Formats: sequence, structure tokens, C-alpha cells
Amino acid sequence: MLWQMAVRNLWRNWRRTLLTMSALVVSVALLILSLGVFSGMFADMLASATQQYHGHLVISRQGYQDQRQLHDTILYDPHVVEQLHATRDVLGISPRLRGFGLLSRDEQTQPAELLGIEPGRERQVTSLHEKIVAGKFPAEMLGSWIVLGRGLADKLEVNPGDELVFVTQAADGSIGNDLLRVLGVFDSGDFNRDNSLALVSLAWLQQLLVLPERLHEISLSISAPMEAKPVAKQLAMQLPESLEVVDWGRLLPEMQEAIASYDVSRLILVLILYAAAGLGVLNTFFMSVLERVREFGVLLAIGMKPSSIRNLVLLESLVMGGLSLLVGSGLGVLMTLMLSGDGIDLSRWMTAVTYAGGTIPPRLRAELVTDNLLVPSVTLLLVSLVSGYLPARRASRLRPVAALRGD
Amino acid sequence: MLRPATQCSVVLLFLALVFPCSSPALDLPALIREVETRYQGVSSHALVIMEIETAHWKRSLELESWSEGRDRFLARILAPAKEKGVATLKIANEVWNYLPKVDRVMKIPPSMMGGAWMGSHLTNDDLVKAHRIDEDYTFALLEEDDAGWLIEARPRPEAPVVWGKLVYRINRTPFVPVQISYFDEEMIEVRQIHFDRVEQIDGRWIPRRMLVNPLEKEERTVLLYQNIEFDLPLPPQLFSVRSLKRN
Repeated sequence: MLWQMAVRNLWRNWRRTLLTMSALVVSVALLILSLGVFSGMFADMLASATQQYHGHLVISRQGYQDQRQLHDTILYDPHVVEQLHATRDVLGISPRLRGFGLLSRDEQTQPAELLGIEPGRERQVTSLHEKIVAGKFPAEMLGSWIVLGRGLADKLEVNPGDELVFVTQAADGSIGNDLLRVLGVFDSGDFNRDNSLALVSLAWLQQLLVLPERLHEISLSISAPMEAKPVAKQLAMQLPESLEVVDWGRLLPEMQEAIASYDVSRLILVLILYAAAGLGVLNTFFMSVLERVREFGVLLAIGMKPSSIRNLVLLESLVMGGLSLLVGSGLGVLMTLMLSGDGIDLSRWMTAVTYAGGTIPPRLRAELVTDNLLVPSVTLLLVSLVSGYLPARRASRLRPVAALRGD
Repeated sequence: MLRPATQCSVVLLFLALVFPCSSPALDLPALIREVETRYQGVSSHALVIMEIETAHWKRSLELESWSEGRDRFLARILAPAKEKGVATLKIANEVWNYLPKVDRVMKIPPSMMGGAWMGSHLTNDDLVKAHRIDEDYTFALLEEDDAGWLIEARPRPEAPVVWGKLVYRINRTPFVPVQISYFDEEMIEVRQIHFDRVEQIDGRWIPRRMLVNPLEKEERTVLLYQNIEFDLPLPPQLFSVRSLKRN
């Protein structure tokens, strides 16, 4: 009965109800959209940061990521790779070996980090193949090719086709040295990396470092990067204890912090928008309660319990909030979906921004995330309840005689 | 006007400042220079076995080396076969490596002078800086007895060195180094070099064995001087980048 009364009461002054509801609808819709844009921005940033080098998850020997010791290797086991491929959420798998040494050409010598990769697999994890500015990205697994960062190539004064010497200390202590031919130059946008990183063939580096069949790490890309931590935990349970699975949050702590601070600013945004909407709801219900003083007096006089009166008003605000939520979130999701995909290109008006190791491309793009729906919805219902509570309490505390007199 | 007694003490104080060490003057820089050039003479030619031990591998290199004065040094690997012909040339402050496999000469950039020399626990810096110690450091005598001296060397403020201080233990007769301790900038001892198996060669007392011990890990490099001769005539073009390549 209370339910029916609530709906009827709302419908009695449908103009006011619709006006208040429209304010709520617009807040919810805009909130979902702007949170979606936030998420899209962070997804772009994270993608650019992880695709520059690390990938989303990295499997390596315990402690390798902190020390990067040459001898902390793992076996390149095709069986493990197959097993990883079969794992849900895993998109790409790149086995890698790393060597530090000197790259030299004529009079120029530079310290460098050589990352031994299988080009086909590396493409699934990083986007360096899209960042080639001269020459090309390798297609073959074997061979003595090298692809360098732009800064490194400039310092060594080399172009595609030129020859380089690499010298390092191999795992058996011997002096590993060999010739490489420059195949391409990449510009990842990360200054430090472009000044020190070079890609070479995994097989070539294994031979040079006298580490046959060995790897330093297996880098993975996964379908839901924001869920990297739980996926890492799950993978770690499947793998031997001597290995660890590190997620991008540990490899890119600045990015982790940026996203944590985003969670806080998201909450602040929700609070500000809803404070305004909540005041609107409060206003509406005070008005409607004051208008209905005589009516509540009658209800009380014929024996309705004060708590039922309170519940009635609360129910009215809840129904209004629920309806607004339904319409508003529908609208918000629709707008978010329209802006997902490639989004709107803004490159005519702004350039890419680099922040916390990631790059935000000049585009307006939204991404649909459950949290962005859940947080505004739950908060909206809470706000309607809270702002309905004060008028409801007032209605329940009316004294029947005074109320009937219309004081 | 000062009283005569005061005048006298001023003069004494002045004398004390000018001649701080009244015992038979000990020229510390000269002493250190003498130690550091023990293996050099006017020129030298040596056959050295270098044994390197790390946590992961152990190997032995056979080297032939030449030096002239303090500024010129050339070393070439004779064995093992994989690295035969790899050579290092030092002229003053610069170091070049020759890699026969790729037939290239590589100059070591200043940023990599701290890197290991031929995989040992000696660095390129050790090759370059060891012979300038008397110029880069100031010295203080810590102990002196019948056996020898204990001398502390602290870098001059402007000297481009990596150590916080060095401590030399030097034997009096025969005059040879016994131990050198290397301290980092936090004054923590990080490396020791021991000298032993002292023998007289060409009228010089030479420790035939040199033990390099990094203290933070259980590793070491041992240099064994198989054969060393001094003050011999060397071909004029020996210390040049071109001769690095010649096998």
C-alpha cells in the first residue's frame, strides 16, 4: 500500500517531480560519461606506458627485476609458453634475454641495454614496432640485426645498414663480442629508454652471452590490464616457486600512483556533483512535505503510525532516485559507448601529453568500466535516501491536531 | 713589543710549522711512487697468468704485457683460444680495446672506465689511475717500525678518483708493497690487494703474486708474474692503436 501511495504522491505534482528527476538524470549521465573519459585517458596512458617496454606482467626469477643479474635466468621451456598461451586473459607472450655492454662504431662507444627478443612475439606485448622512425622492425627470429632507440642511434651516429660492435662479459666470464647490422631505429617517446635500449635477436644474444636456452623474463600482455594484480597472483600459483610474476604496478610505480590518485579524484567529483543534486532532492521533498501537512495530519488522525509516514516519504525519494538512476545511467552508458572505440580526434587543437611515464594521446575517448557505473549508482541511491530522510523525519513528527489545524 | 721569551717561542712555533717532521725526512709521495712503479722500470715486458674467480665461473687467462714509463701500457691475451689476440692499450688517460673476432678497436668511454678490465676485478680506471696516485693523493704516515710503513692516502679535493682513501702497507727490506686497502667514499673498506711471493728479478725485488679481493663478495683475481724483464729496448711504435691489431 505504501508503495502505491508513494508512486501516486510523486505523480500528483508531476511537473516538479520531473524537474527534480531531470536534474538527477543529467548528473548521473554526465558523471558516468566523465568517469568514462577519465578511464579512457588512463587506459591510453597505461597502454602507452606498458607497451613501451615492460608489458603488463613479467615472469622472472625471484629478485631478478630488482638486481637484473646476468645469472638469474630461467629456462626457455616451450611447454610453459604453451601453458601460458592457454591461460585465460593472456593475449601475448614475449620471451626475453637481457645483456648490458658497450655498443661501438668507429670512435663512438656507448653503454647500452640489449634486449634479446623474438620479433613476432614481442609485437604482441610492446608497440615498439609501431614506433620505428627509420629502417624497419625485424621480421626474422635469427640474424645479427639490431634496432636501436633514436637517442642511442644519434650518439653512435648510425643509420639503418650500418655496422656496430657489441662487447660484454658473457655468463662464463669470457669476452663476448660480435658485429651487428642496424635494421631500424625506434622513438618510443621515453627519453631514457631511447638513449640506452636496443633490440636484438634472442637466439643471437643467447649465443653471445653463452646462455643457451635461457631467458631473463617472459613478458605478457593481458586482456584486462587493470586486473593485472589478481592475474599475476593466479599465474604465480601455477608456476614454480623460484619464479615471480610482477605486475605493471610494481614496474611502473609512478603509474600506479597516478591511478590511485585518480580513484580519489573520481570520488571527489562524484561528491561535488551529487551534493548539488542532493540539495535539489532535499528542496523538493521539504516543499512536498510542507504542502501536505494537513494530509499527513489526517493520516495520523485515522491511525497511521508515524514510522509509516516516514517510510512513505523515504520511499517517494527512493523511487524518484531509482527512476532517475535507470534513465540517467542508460543515457550515460549510451554516451560512453558513443565515445568508446577510437573516440573523437582532438589533434587539431592539442598535442599529446606525457605524464607518469605514459602518454595521453590528443583524443576524447571514453571507456566503460563497471566501477564507473557502480560508484555513481550506489552513491545516487544513498544521496536520495539521505536527502529524503530529513523531510521524512519532519513529516513523521507532526502532531495530528496541530497539523489538521494547518499550523 | 714582545718580551724576549715570547719572541723565542714564536720563532719555535714558526720552525715547527715549517718542519713538521723532525725525524729523517721521509718523502711519502716518492715512496708511494716507488711502490706503484715496482713492476715498471724504464720499460718492462712480462708474462702474466690472471686467474679470475667469481660466484658463477672460474677462468685463467695468459697475458703478455709491455710498459714504458708510467703512461704507456699494452697487454694482449695469449690464451684461451677464444680470446686470443684481445688486447688493451693505455696511453696516459685513455684506454682502447682490440677485438680480433670482429677486427675492431674500441675506445672505452669515460663513463665506462669503472668497468671490469678483461673480466677481472681490476677496472680500466685501475690501469689509468694507479700511476698517478702520487699526484692525485696527499699522504700521511700512520705507522713506522722496523718492518716497514703504514701510509694513508687521501684524494686531493679536485682529483678525479673513485676512492675515499687508500692505505698502503709497505715492507722495508726488501722494499715491496704488502697490502693496499681501498675505501669507498663512505670510508668502508671495499677491496684489498695483497702482494706475496717476493723474488729478486733483474736486481729488483718483485712480489710475483698479486691478489685482488673485493670485500663485498667471495670473489678474487690473482695475477701471477711468470716472467718479467726490465729496462729493455722496445720497438718505437709498440704503444699505438695500429699495433694493437697486430698479433
